[in-house]
Parts: sequence; structure tokens; C-alpha cells
Amino acid sequence: MASTSAFVSIAPVLAKLPLCRASSVLRTSVFTPVRAAPSSRHVRAAPSVPQRGAAQRGANRWATTMAGGGANGSSKYDYDLFVIGAGSGGVRASRIAAGHGARVAVAEEAALGGTCVNVGCVPKKLFSYGSHYSHDFADAAKYGWSVPEMPTVDWPTLIANKNAEILRLNGIYGRMLENAGVELKVGAATLTGPHSVEVNGVAHTAETILVAVGGEPFVPTFPGSEHVITSNEAFFLESLPRRVLIAGGGYIAVEFACIFHGYGSQVTQLYRGDLFLRGFDHDVRTHLAGEMTDRGIDVRFNTDVKAVVKNADGSFTTTLKDGSTVETDVVMFATGRKPKTSELGLEAAGVTTGKSGEIPVDDFSQTNVPSIYAVGDVTDRVALTPVAIAEGHCFADTLFDNNPRSPNYEYIPSAVFSQPAIGTCGLTEEQAVAQFGEDDVDVFKSAFRPLKHTLTQRPGERELMKLIVRRSTDVVVGVHVVQSAAGELIQLAGVALKAGVTKKLFDSTIGVHPTSAEELVTLRQSERAKAEAAAAAEAKKATA
Amino acid sequence: MARTEWVKASIWMPPSIRGASIHRTVSNTPSSATDEYPRFLLPWVPLPALPLVSSPPSSTMAPVPKAPTETSYDYDLFVIGAGSGGVRASRIAAGHGARVAVAEEGPLGGTCVNVGCVPKKLFSYGSHYRHDFTDAVKYGWVLSGEPPTVDWGVLVANKNAEIERLNGVYGRMLEKAGVTLLRGTAKFVDPHTVEVDGRRVTAATILIAVGGTPFVPSFPGSEHAITSNEAFYLPSLPRRVLLVGGGYISVEFANVFHGYGSEVTQAYRGELFLRGFDKDVRTHLADQMRERGIDLRFNTDVESVVKNDDGSFTATWKGGGTLTVDLVMYATGRNPMTDKLNVDAAGVKRGKGGCVPVDEWSRTNVDHIYAVGDVTDRMALTPVALGEGHCFADTVYGGRPRSPKYDNIPTAVFSHPAIGTVGMTEAEAVAEYGEDGVDVFKSDFKPLRHTLTGRSGEREFMKLLVRRSDDVVVGVHLVQEAAGEMIQLAGVALKAGATKAVFDSTIGVHPTSAEELVTLRTSERAKAAAAAKEAKA
Repeated sequence: MASTSAFVSIAPVLAKLPLCRASSVLRTSVFTPVRAAPSSRHVRAAPSVPQRGAAQRGANRWATTMAGGGANGSSKYDYDLFVIGAGSGGVRASRIAAGHGARVAVAEEAALGGTCVNVGCVPKKLFSYGSHYSHDFADAAKYGWSVPEMPTVDWPTLIANKNAEILRLNGIYGRMLENAGVELKVGAATLTGPHSVEVNGVAHTAETILVAVGGEPFVPTFPGSEHVITSNEAFFLESLPRRVLIAGGGYIAVEFACIFHGYGSQVTQLYRGDLFLRGFDHDVRTHLAGEMTDRGIDVRFNTDVKAVVKNADGSFTTTLKDGSTVETDVVMFATGRKPKTSELGLEAAGVTTGKSGEIPVDDFSQTNVPSIYAVGDVTDRVALTPVAIAEGHCFADTLFDNNPRSPNYEYIPSAVFSQPAIGTCGLTEEQAVAQFGEDDVDVFKSAFRPLKHTLTQRPGERELMKLIVRRSTDVVVGVHVVQSAAGELIQLAGVALKAGVTKKLFDSTIGVHPTSAEELVTLRQSERAKAEAAAAAEAKKATA
Repeated sequence: MARTEWVKASIWMPPSIRGASIHRTVSNTPSSATDEYPRFLLPWVPLPALPLVSSPPSSTMAPVPKAPTETSYDYDLFVIGAGSGGVRASRIAAGHGARVAVAEEGPLGGTCVNVGCVPKKLFSYGSHYRHDFTDAVKYGWVLSGEPPTVDWGVLVANKNAEIERLNGVYGRMLEKAGVTLLRGTAKFVDPHTVEVDGRRVTAATILIAVGGTPFVPSFPGSEHAITSNEAFYLPSLPRRVLLVGGGYISVEFANVFHGYGSEVTQAYRGELFLRGFDKDVRTHLADQMRERGIDLRFNTDVESVVKNDDGSFTATWKGGGTLTVDLVMYATGRNPMTDKLNVDAAGVKRGKGGCVPVDEWSRTNVDHIYAVGDVTDRMALTPVALGEGHCFADTVYGGRPRSPKYDNIPTAVFSHPAIGTVGMTEAEAVAEYGEDGVDVFKSDFKPLRHTLTGRSGEREFMKLLVRRSDDVVVGVHLVQEAAGEMIQLAGVALKAGATKAVFDSTIGVHPTSAEELVTLRTSERAKAAAAAKEAKA
């Protein structure tokens, strides 16, 4: 277990047991997703448990193998399962299926580990860690430290150290597949039929095919769009740009704005909508926008890029919709990701795709072609690593362990590694009001300067804690925080929400002093009560 | 209202610097920012759901106390001590209509604000930076020139300014609530009379909330040892520090001094420090502190301390051998501050170490005299004292009888990495449910941040204790830099009765350390069984 203990983030990938509950969806309705796949526009109606011929045979074959017989030759296909894409979902599905006795091959054209390991969660978090230090140098002074010279940045060192770490993780993934007995095919795979795949001109057949190719950044076409980079390139920049323009309002754009700013770049982030981070709680969005602005990031809403021109000195001049221009050294677009399905041969196999190329699937990750499944970002359900892992694991257990299960999409905690970070779980205030009505929703919130920064007084460090409570049941249906350790905090909030925690239970929990999180257990007055109190005071004043 | 003057605050300072002008600027600026820390102290509208509250009194409890109707006294309630518990009780009682006075000899806010949680956490924050300077290099930062140095005076001055702000917040809270503040040392004259610096005051009900103070055993040279009280006001950073004691205060200060660059030795007479915490947590933290370069010596006690000519101190161990340091700090426990109170005059009985024993309504053996907080020797934690004070005031003056509950209280130790703990330790769970009744899940790993820095002493640890009969998680123990924030929410989850299945069904937040807690698949029992099977084969 030496390799597993070396790096926490690999632990969920390595885990041998399911992320989804060890019970079947068929057995208990608890696992029926509430805000789940079936309600998504991508999902076909009325999913049924897949015909598990393959699974049964797989299981039987395993039994035969154990009895001493050879595994090969009992199937008319080369493999029981062929997985396209060795990212989070694909690797998990491969390993678990192989563990259940299936003969599995996985094709990958790039580095093992997919987006998360190579150009996603992991390098992003490392960059985020690194970008914090500039603030630490400044803050340290108030805590008695004298830093003789303001430190400078040697960007290639960051990139080299990040690359070395990722190379190590690639190796771990390779060994995991090897240990599980999964065959790795290096190259781009194309579907040629419901049971056939081609990799580097070699045809392979499989009883079941799993598409787990993930997604990639999407850049709209406009004059000069060839000059812009995406997050893919941002992880391999040769030097730290002095000035950066980031277009986009999603969490990737926000995270990179904070990263570049932390490392000392002059950052402009623009988004064509009214407010970035659509889908997050409105208070969280405004709070973070305020903090980022206070830190010195030029956040502009209701604006968009019209054209980008490369200048003679290598810089770029971006013209915005209102005609104004911004000159920067890098223009980065983080305007969305789309499923990597265009060259996959889905048509040949008869797999239908959605508007952006995503593959619609049912609760069991089955596409419209019964022998073809899809998990992870390519399905455009919830594009998160742990979700892809859960989907891959459930898929493998369903088909190769005769244990039908599907992921539960309720109360998925997630984080944005902005500065401060965001942690969110459950319904936003807007969703709760839409679902339960305004009268049935109580909102508790608190925005404050944390203890650490009472000393530094550094702007842009205010935190936010918010609870959304369903009044009729007192159940907490949403937790939203903006806090430096929000990622760690929201994980546990997720557990509490899964346990059906009520506001009363929050209130009955003793605070941990002094922390920011203790705010969450000392939120006494709802926004409604505050408004009523203010109205009463106003009325009293009027009569007096 | 009298402003908080640091001249008075000098009660916390060591004799050597008492009266010294470390920080005497008194700001008159009212805190308009109600959103500054500490928001948890700010007045709120009391709602039916309050913390630390049990269901209505049961027949097994002592009879519910009622407020005396006698009005011939100066006050309905006299509170001795304006710390966390005393201030909360005063404010809430006044809010319920009682005429309240509170006596305080030191600065407002008690241990927590002045010589406890708050300055400790500030010191802890500050002590992180030395590692940050080193770690930053692996993240591409170039620190040229001389390495960063420490100006201890700046830290202490800034800390003092922040605490003074908090003292002011407390003062305004009392003022707004209509509570009379009497400055001075209070002592009992008779069951209904208290004398504060010569002035006698009578009250129908008296609440003792004087808190505790560090305790140093007597040994040759014990007069040379400082305690945490003085550690917060040191004139300079000691180059070498000897910490004696194995409690969390000792551990926190060992980390603070080490972080700021002192050479630290921590001695504890027992086999392993942090008694009462989960054993795995104790050994894990001991390993990390050693890896960082703190010299931990267990089964070691000091026989004597001698002051040398150069101002340093030489400690001699009980088993022989010596250690020369610039500062000897004792954190060997705290005692209730009842010595000067003259409780005998009121007939109040004292217990072990001078504590004031109370019933579930915080009532002493004398019907109209109550006690809350550290002086009662229940759980010496600020939020617990707040809860006790609040319950007392609601019970006696609010017509809402309630008593504190002490189950599943989450707490943190701000070591490096920090500890977070809630519920039972493994030993407690095994004692309660038997070895077969408890499943242990744990994980020990190097966090993502430090895969790049490679710095030792940063391994983290996560542990869940599960009652097998019903799958309920009965204990969560963490060693992680954000453990304080995490354990707060773990406490909420445990209050909600979270089962291991609920933990497992929660999707991970990636990449975090906390996701370990929802991906702990194999119990120690299962691991052992698998290992045994493999050994057999």
C-alpha cells in the first residue's frame, strides 16, 4: 500500500470497493436519484436493468477459471469489455470489471489518468497551492516575519515539479491496470460497430464497449481565436504571463484567474453574463466576485470578446463587444467543455449523441445501443472525477458482478479552488425556492472577516457561510461556504446532508473554537426573521 | 463605560514585564464592523433551538431552579468573572429582565480572549509561515537574499491590538445588555454578599465564572518557569525552549515556538502525550512533530531548574542529564481560580483541585449560588462555557429550563498538522461496545500539497470508529491542517447519527484530504483477516 499512502487523491481511484452503496437500486428506493440522471435532458426515459448476459457469462467464466479451466475461447469476442479512455471513469470500470473476472482492454491515446490527473483537478490544485504563497509572504509581516526581498517566480520550476508529480501518477495508473490484468492499448480508438473497435488500424471485438473519453475545452470561433489558449495549454506555459485575459464564467475560469493573480499576473476576467459561476448559489457568486475584485482581479461581467490580434511584441490585443481593448500576454478561454466524441465513430456503431456531442445514457450508463455504455464527462451528467469513478464502478458491478446499481446524484459536495475557495452541497437558495416555494425555505447566512485576517486586514479574504433550510421539515437542504478550507469543510457537510441533518442538529452541535466553521452552528436568525425584525423596528419608529 | 486599559490587563503578564508598555494604545473607534471576528459572540435573538440543550427536564434530574423573588438585594444576579461563560450568562439574564452586575479583575473576555484560544490561534497562524517560505520554493517561488527573520515584538503588539479590540467588543456587549461592570477582585463575604475591592454588593443569585489558571508544581527552581499566561507576552523569541507537559496547550506551544524558529524540547512524564485523545492520533502527531524537528521526550520529568549567569536556564532531568535553554515553560495543567474567592464564607463546597462541583443546572451545593465554565471542572472549552452560561440564564431567568449536553463535542488542537476529534476514541469505543462491537477504519497519507514539497512531518491521518451493531459512526479523529474546520462539520454529521453507509454514500470532493473519510473501504479487522489469510497461503 506504499503507493496508495503516498497521495491521498489516488485513494478513491484505488479503492477496491464501490463508491456507490453496496445495495442494489432495485432493492431500495433510497438510491433512486432525486435530482438525478433521469431528470436530465440527456437521459432516456424509463431505464431498466441492463440485460446482463455478458455479466452472467463473465461471472460464470470467472467461476470456470477458478475451477482451473482457461478463460479464453468461451466467447466469440476478443474481450468481454473494451473501454475507450483511461481516465477516472474508464480506469475504475476496467479494474473493477477485471476484478469481477472479465477480460478487459482499455485504449488511451494520451497519458493515463485522463483530464483529472493530467490537465484538471490535480495540476489545478497544485497551481492553486502555489499561488497562495504570495499572500503568505505579505501576511507573514503582520505575524512578525520580515521577508527581506519580495520573492519572485520561476515558473518553469513550478511546471517541472508539477510534471514530475503527474508522471508519478501516470505510473501509478499504469501499474494499477497491469495489476488488475487489464490490457492497455495505446492509441486513438474508433468504434466500428456495436461490438467492434479499431485502435491503430487493429480491430478488436468486445461483448460490451464502454465509452469514457471525457471532454475537452471548447473555444468558439471568432477573429483571432487561433491565438487563445485553453486550460490544456495553461498547464504547460513556458513562463508566467505578466498580463492575462481570461474569458469565461465557469469554475475553471475563476480558478485560473485566482492562480495567475496569486502568482503575480495582472488578471482580467470577463464573462458575457451578469455574474459568473452560473448554477452556484447567488450569494456565493456575488461574494466571490467581491472578494476577487478586492484582491485586485479585474472582473468584468456583461462583456465578451469580439476579436484578438497578435501584436509585433508577442502580446495580444483583445477587442471587446463594447469596442474597448485589453492588451495582455496571454488570452485564455475557459468557456466550457465539450464531450470528445467527434472522431469516435459513434455513428458507425449507431450510438446517438446530443446537441453538444454528449452521449445520452440511462441510470445504468447504457446508451441507445444495448452493448455500448458511457460514463464520465462524455455523458455530460455531473462532470466531476468522483462522479465518473462512481459511474464506472456502478457500471462494472452491474454488468460483471450481477449487482445492479446506479450512482446517486443527490447531495454531491463539490469545491471550487478559488481564493477564498467555494464549497457547495445540495440546493442553492434559488433551487430551494423553486422546489419548495419561498414560504417553505429559510435562509441563514453570515459574511465575516476570519480571525487570521483580523491581523493582516488583507482585502479579499472575507468568508461566507450559508445554510438553506426547508421550513416544514427543518431539514438542511443546502450548505454553501466561501472559505479557505472550503473543500475540506464541505466534504463533511456532505456527509451531514446525506444523513438528513436538520437545522436543529446544526444548532445543537457545539462550536469548535476558534474556527470559521463554528459560524455554521451558531447561525441563529434567518434572513426572514431579520427582515421581520427590521420591519417591526421601522414600524415602531414610524408610530413613535 | 470604562475603557479597557492594558495597565489593568497586566494581571496576565509576567512580573518581569508587568507594567511595561508593550501595547497601551487604546482605540476609541467603536467596532462598526459587526462582521469582524468574533461574530459568534455577537448578540442574537434567542430562538427556541439553542446549543447544548437537552430536552425538557426529566424526573432523574435535580429539581428545576427558579429565580428568587426577593428584590431587596442590590442585584438579581451577580456574576464573578467576565470570561466566556460569565459574559454570556450576564447578557442573557439581563435580556430576560434581571438586574445584573459582573465583576472582573482582568481584561474582559477571560482566558479565551486574552490568554487562550484567540492569541494561541494567532500565534499558530504566524508559526506556519516559516514552512510556507520553504514550501513555496517547490512551487516556483524564488526567495533570494537573507532568509526571513522574526520580529517577535511585532507579533505580540499586533496580537495585543487585536485582543484589545475584542476586549472592547465584550465591554460594549455588556453595556448594551445593561449589565453593570465592576472592576476588581471579587470575594464572598456571606452567601448573598460579595466584596469587590472593598465595595460590598448583595445579590439574590450569584454565579461563579472565574475560570482557571495554569498550574506549576513546586520543585527546585520552579520560580523560573513561565506558563502560557506569560508566553503570550514574551519580549523576544527564545532561541531554545523547554516545554514541560503533555496536554494540548503544551503541544500547541511546542509547535508555535518551533514554527517561529526556536529549538524546542517537549518533555512529558507519561509514555505518550495528549492523554484522552485517540491513541493513533497521539502517535501520529508525535511522529510528525519529531519529523519536523521537535525533540519530544516522554517518560521524562524535570527535577530542578537553575538560572545561569547568561540568563539561560539549565534543567536537570529526574533520571539524570541536563538541558540548557532560554525559556522553561510549564503547561502541566490548569486549576480553578477559587483561591481568592473565599467561597467558604458562602458555604460553597470545593472539590478536587479547588473546582466547584455543580449539578446539571450548574447549581452548587448552595441553592442560590451557581458556577459555569472552567471553574466547574466539567469540559474546559469556550463554547461549552458559553452553553453553560446560556443554559443557566435561560433556566433561572428565562423560564426555559435547559441543561448542557456533553455528547459528541467536536474539538481541535492547533498543532502542525492540527488535530480534530469528536466522539469516542477507539479505546473508549472498545470499552463501551467490546472489541467485536467496533470497526476501525483509518488512513495515513501524505497530502497532495506535500507531494511537491516533500517536507516531512506533514503526513495526515483520518480515522472513523463504527459501532458494528447499527453501523453508526461513534468517533472521528483527524490529523490535518484544516482539522478544526473539518471536525466542526463532522460533529454535525455525528449529531445527525451518520452511519458508515452514509459516509460511504457521500461522493468525494476531489482533490481534498477529507475525501479519505468517505473512501475508507476496508476496516482494520478486514485488513488483519486478509493478511492472516495471505500468511496462511
